[in-house]
Amino acid sequence: MSKWKRRDILKIGALAAAASGFPAILRAQSKEIVILGLWDQTGAFSDVGPLNDRGMRMALEERDMKVLGRPIRYVTRDGATQAGTSTRRAEEAVDGEGARFIVGPWSSGVALAVSEVAKRKKVVHLFSGGTEDISGARCHRYSFQWAASPYTAAKTVVDTFMKANPKAKRWHLLVADYAFGWSVEKYVKEVGKTHGIEFVGADRHPLGEREFSNYVQKAAANKPDVVAMINFGGDAVAGAREIFNFGLTPKVPLIMTWSSGVEELIQLAPEIRENCWVGSNFYYTADTPVARNFVKSYQAKFGTPPGYAPSAAYSMTRMLLAGFDKAGSAEVQDVIKALEGIELNDVVGPMRVDGATHQTLRPYFFLRCKSKSAMKHPLDLADIIATGDAPLPKEYAACKDIGSF
Amino acid sequence: MSLLAGQILNGIATGMLYALMGLGLSLITGILNIPNFAHGAFFAVGAYLLVTAVGVFGNFWIGLVVAPAGVALLGLAIEYAGIRRLYAAGHDYQLLFTFGLSLILAEGIILVWGPVGISHLPPEILRGGVDLGFTFYPKYRLFVMAAAGLLVFLTWLFLEKTRYGAIMRAGIENKEMVSLLGIDIHRLFTAAFALGAYLAGIAGALTAPIRGLSPGMGVDMLGIAFVVVALGGLGNLLGAIGAGLLIGVAQAVVAAYWTEASTVVIYAVMAAVLLVRPQGLFGIR
Repeated sequence: MSKWKRRDILKIGALAAAASGFPAILRAQSKEIVILGLWDQTGAFSDVGPLNDRGMRMALEERDMKVLGRPIRYVTRDGATQAGTSTRRAEEAVDGEGARFIVGPWSSGVALAVSEVAKRKKVVHLFSGGTEDISGARCHRYSFQWAASPYTAAKTVVDTFMKANPKAKRWHLLVADYAFGWSVEKYVKEVGKTHGIEFVGADRHPLGEREFSNYVQKAAANKPDVVAMINFGGDAVAGAREIFNFGLTPKVPLIMTWSSGVEELIQLAPEIRENCWVGSNFYYTADTPVARNFVKSYQAKFGTPPGYAPSAAYSMTRMLLAGFDKAGSAEVQDVIKALEGIELNDVVGPMRVDGATHQTLRPYFFLRCKSKSAMKHPLDLADIIATGDAPLPKEYAACKDIGSF
Repeated sequence: MSLLAGQILNGIATGMLYALMGLGLSLITGILNIPNFAHGAFFAVGAYLLVTAVGVFGNFWIGLVVAPAGVALLGLAIEYAGIRRLYAAGHDYQLLFTFGLSLILAEGIILVWGPVGISHLPPEILRGGVDLGFTFYPKYRLFVMAAAGLLVFLTWLFLEKTRYGAIMRAGIENKEMVSLLGIDIHRLFTAAFALGAYLAGIAGALTAPIRGLSPGMGVDMLGIAFVVVALGGLGNLLGAIGAGLLIGVAQAVVAAYWTEASTVVIYAVMAAVLLVRPQGLFGIR
């Protein structure tokens, strides 16, 4: 018998390693459920991404990072508020990390690109934002929309505001120039027609705009009864500030149509918030059991109440986990079938996912900011004066066929 | 017509702030020959220091004096402790250093003042607006226009009419010659960097009541400051003033008729000017 050679020993070693180690890795891979949180840490929504991440983690930690008795591995990536980066990072997480469930990103325009990745890679995609296309013209079986339809939002905001201010018929719009702004603008104008509103101006500004004086001066020249902004985050804060600086508010009411809620409002001085009316997908005083618990834990952990961004991430994750529970499976198609038509009572109250369009039917909030003297504490910023859940009428529905897997 | 007049006025007010930023950056780029990526962060620190100073002293005007002075001191310390060691190291190291510094300062702002944006109202006397006949205009913006204009003028006066200003201008032209004449070139560099930081700091402090404060506020301004320097001509101080005004007015006038393009126009103007005059509007190199 010949002597052992170094090569033989290496072969045996490799075999032993394969026999003992690899199946363990395989077992772990098949057992754990990988969920991707695609949140912007850089770019225009760099301030929002960390808040989304907080909400998502809280929903997962509530369940001890487990579902169906299997461990959840939470993977998060920075989408950089850019379609190219977000789609690349999503594909990397799907191919490299085995993620089959994507939550995010935050920007509508970017999410539309990620939705295409979800369709191609056949993975579940949950998103919250203002574009109507995810559950509209570009709907497909893999993407779901958590936020209220832009129609629901516009209807709630315009109807409630006009009820309180029936004579305010000359509106000037300031609109963020991307998918979300266009969708909401379209329905604000549609609903506005039913009230006889005249839109004396509608100017679009780029995402990430900080110099609003030029737009506001133009708005002031139109002598509107109302200025309505359809923008978000830093844009909305900068716009509201300049509208005050130019002496429009509090004389002329300002509507922030699709606001993050508390996160935008606390950045504005009370004088600037005077006569501000705010539409939002979530407000922290929402009187639902889930919201009360969530707000309490969030505030205890981070010091401030949650706005729309962490709440959407929290609730989307809870919705996904509820889909796993209902399906009793972590297979993509089973979870999708379970999510279609699912009914939940979550942070915003009763919610139902329309199986035909993947749009969540749910309440939208309308707030009125409080004057400085009426505030009982520093976070007593606004009162919820109405909620609305009017679904998108059939004649506007662009998702004719959600398609097959 | 009144809309156009109003927009031009607004463009001049914004342009003055751009000029202030560009002037400081141009001074640093011209004399020290380094690309100062921390210039936007100085702008942000100026704004935040103003809010703190107003909180401490309870007076906007004291804040307006203290905040930029604080930024100048910060600039002085940074030049003395960091940048001075990198003059011989080449552009790559200087670029990395100032870029890293901008990130550290932005994170520092989050640590000290928190990640959430802040609104700061103008002093009582400058709140509200005045009817100029052709437009209603905020008093505070008129004040900023005058204050920024005065600062630009004083900086120009200092550089053109004082002995030390002449030395600085000579430093832009030929550092070796200035050094050979027995002038302490390192002290000149420190002074120029501190003056540049001061101008960014006061631009930030003046802007705080207009744009509010957020940790990333310097990034938006940095891009514009570089455009102003490129457009005005590297190291050309009058050029920086002209370019700042040009961009501010172009932005405002375009916004009157085509709002979607009001950001793009900044870069379109730069591209157009550089195609015709690669050395910038008033540049010689």
